[in-house]
Amino acid sequence: MSDKSKGLNKAREIYSNNSQRARELKAAGKKIIGYPCVYVPLELLTALDLVPYRTCGDIKEPVTEADRALPHSFCPIMRNCLDCALKGKNDFLDGMVTIHSCDPQEKTARIWESYTNYPYFHFIDMPVTVRPEALEYFKSQLNDFRKTLEAFTGKKLPKDKLEAAIKSYNQQRTLVRELYELTKPSPPRISGTEIVQVVKALTSLPVSEGNDLLTEVIGEVKSRTDVPEKKLTRLLIWSSTLDDADIMQVFEDKANVVMNESCGGIRAYRAAVKSTYDPLEGLASYYLNEITCARTFRQATPGETGKDYARDLQSRFGYLKGIIRDWKISGAVMLLVRYCDPFAFEMPSLKDYFDSIGVPSTYIEYDYTTGALAPLRTRAEAFLETISQ
Amino acid sequence: MADEKKKTINRLKSMYPLRAKVNETYLKSVEAIQAGKPAVWAMLNFYYGDPVLKAMDVEVVYPENYGAIAAAMGVAREYLDRADAEGFPTHLCGYSLTTLGYASRMMKELKGQIPPEAPLGGMPKPLFLMSSAAICDARYKWFQALGRYMDAPVWPLEAPIPGIKEFFIEGYYGRMVKLGVKHLRDFVAFVEKMVGKKMDWDKLDKTANLMIEVNRVWHEINELRKVNPCPMHSRDFWSAMPAALFLAGDLEDSLRLYQDMYKEVKDRVNSHIGAVPNEKYRLVFAELPPWHSLSFFDKLAERGWNFVIESFGYHPPIPLDLSKVSDPLERITKFSLQFLVGYYEDARKQNVLGGTSAYPYLKYAKEWKCDGAILHPLISCRSASTHLPYVSDMLMEKLKVPSLSIEGDIVDLRLFNPEDALAKAEPFEESMEHYRKVRKQEGLDW
Repeated sequence: MSDKSKGLNKAREIYSNNSQRARELKAAGKKIIGYPCVYVPLELLTALDLVPYRTCGDIKEPVTEADRALPHSFCPIMRNCLDCALKGKNDFLDGMVTIHSCDPQEKTARIWESYTNYPYFHFIDMPVTVRPEALEYFKSQLNDFRKTLEAFTGKKLPKDKLEAAIKSYNQQRTLVRELYELTKPSPPRISGTEIVQVVKALTSLPVSEGNDLLTEVIGEVKSRTDVPEKKLTRLLIWSSTLDDADIMQVFEDKANVVMNESCGGIRAYRAAVKSTYDPLEGLASYYLNEITCARTFRQATPGETGKDYARDLQSRFGYLKGIIRDWKISGAVMLLVRYCDPFAFEMPSLKDYFDSIGVPSTYIEYDYTTGALAPLRTRAEAFLETISQ
Repeated sequence: MADEKKKTINRLKSMYPLRAKVNETYLKSVEAIQAGKPAVWAMLNFYYGDPVLKAMDVEVVYPENYGAIAAAMGVAREYLDRADAEGFPTHLCGYSLTTLGYASRMMKELKGQIPPEAPLGGMPKPLFLMSSAAICDARYKWFQALGRYMDAPVWPLEAPIPGIKEFFIEGYYGRMVKLGVKHLRDFVAFVEKMVGKKMDWDKLDKTANLMIEVNRVWHEINELRKVNPCPMHSRDFWSAMPAALFLAGDLEDSLRLYQDMYKEVKDRVNSHIGAVPNEKYRLVFAELPPWHSLSFFDKLAERGWNFVIESFGYHPPIPLDLSKVSDPLERITKFSLQFLVGYYEDARKQNVLGGTSAYPYLKYAKEWKCDGAILHPLISCRSASTHLPYVSDMLMEKLKVPSLSIEGDIVDLRLFNPEDALAKAEPFEESMEHYRKVRKQEGLDW
């Protein structure tokens, strides 16, 4: 009989009841701070002994309460997240940190703050370019964030504590990358569905507990004999968010999803925060430059006065080439959450990029509900059938 | 017949030459290209990049505005279908899809020639694109996506959007200004390289001052609309706004025209002449109007509905004395920031935390003494729709002003049903009458 308190089983448990640990910590006197997006620098929270908790949506939860606050034709994930908050599912939170990573996040932040009453609520503004002045502004935003956290906790944030937190999160990033190394073999040693569960569990735990969980999972996966079944296609899924195991399972019924390039997969873990004299500088640079979300405007040369489409595609999507080579990807799914503008605008260009490097790809859209699963399955199967011929 | 005429909107004569500025701009840009002069495509950028382009003698066209024109003139459908066929999701901003379809037709099919069916002479191939991060993601992602069709470089203008509380953290405003000035300085260098000439800083200084003055007069005109009966209808606002909002046309000429408009509106105030005869209801409209069905407002005017204030995103910034700011880039930056943060102090006092787009409606309804709000959520423009449920809640909770929501779209004409909307007018009048009594009971003065 497997030990439910360890490794993959534990990740699955946490995934299924992801607020449980936060509630326990709250009962033990910790302060829990919610955040909706991977752009929020959790290092600052952890360094002040606050527990970050990602306020995810739930595809099984019909949106009812958020209807009074947000229109229907709006990011279904943010609607779902807000709905959960308005229904009191996050009633253990002591505060929220929101960030201008995209327009729906920014707009929802205003609504969220207006309709809830947490003791702490902070909004971080975020530039869209990676230009030097934008980086400097973003660093000042993180400094303001630090000040508000210090005021909330009544504690000063010592540099060594922030450096230690950065180290812990960098360790987590390294461990997630190590976990993804285990999807390189054929068949992969861990499924995409299991990784979704692990990553969601990480966002529900303090970083040290997350790192312990990852270490257990990696050890277990390395030595397991019951590896996932080998399928004909090795898929890359590129999306804004793929954080639901049921959605991932739709693809994994007929393929091995060996790379989830979304904020429910590797996106927030692909790089590390660099060590800088002022830790905020390293954090600002990492969060603005290194997370490869479509929300950031990238170009071959900032301020370029000429344009070359091939170079432009390379600057925006070039990082995928190495993934495709190293993970031996045989097909790519561009999975769009409906009404997600930053990703929606990318679709034809990313298709051009995949075509240019000879990777078959398809664009599939869904609305973050269980009702989307059946049509999603039809589209996924049609694509997989096409590329396996 | 005479009675029927009395019931229609009494348009301002001074509006017509301002409205003509839009057509002039398109024709000028086509002529400019033909004469070998630079023309660019730009996003509405809230007074930030426009004065730089103006001072550099660059002709500018605005695809957002062009999307509305294409929709109103019935040619958008072809461009929308083409964008769909190119793989752009259909729920994207209708203006963006129109532009993407237009660019695809112009560059892939016509090898850079303006499509013959394009209204107002069309948008010529640009030297570069100036996008803006203000308001929504589409407004910088859309120009990036145009890279599929044209080799024009893009400059994305940064646009900080602080939270209400956060804005009051010590030093915050100064850091926004610092970002803005540095960013604009680099933008000037970019434009100089693209255009192949140096900035005339005296001209920029003068352009910035004219822009600020034009918008001050435009603001004052809108302040005059607080009186009862309101002398100027929203239709005149929307028709006259491009010269101030997009800096369309010659700025000195625009200043003179707005001054003329001020005089005409002031005369109406003095003579108690309303934009709608027998003004019965004063309304605020949020946000983008149904450009393709503006005659809808004439039908409502027949019922005594006067739209006295509207569309926060199109209104000039609350005036700010910038006469002591010597650097024109700093002056431009502060003026541009004022568009948004000019409301923040009041919003904080009122504890309206959703204040960036929502608070102005509280101010409008209160100061322009509105009986009701018409909200126009748009299926493909989420940025102009997201805050509307909150606006509705806030108006009712704080001012007892009811709202009526009428769905539509910016380019898909089928989504707006004027007949259905008009059928809701009578019950909404009952609601407005009811809440007039409630406001009185609660001590509100209108």
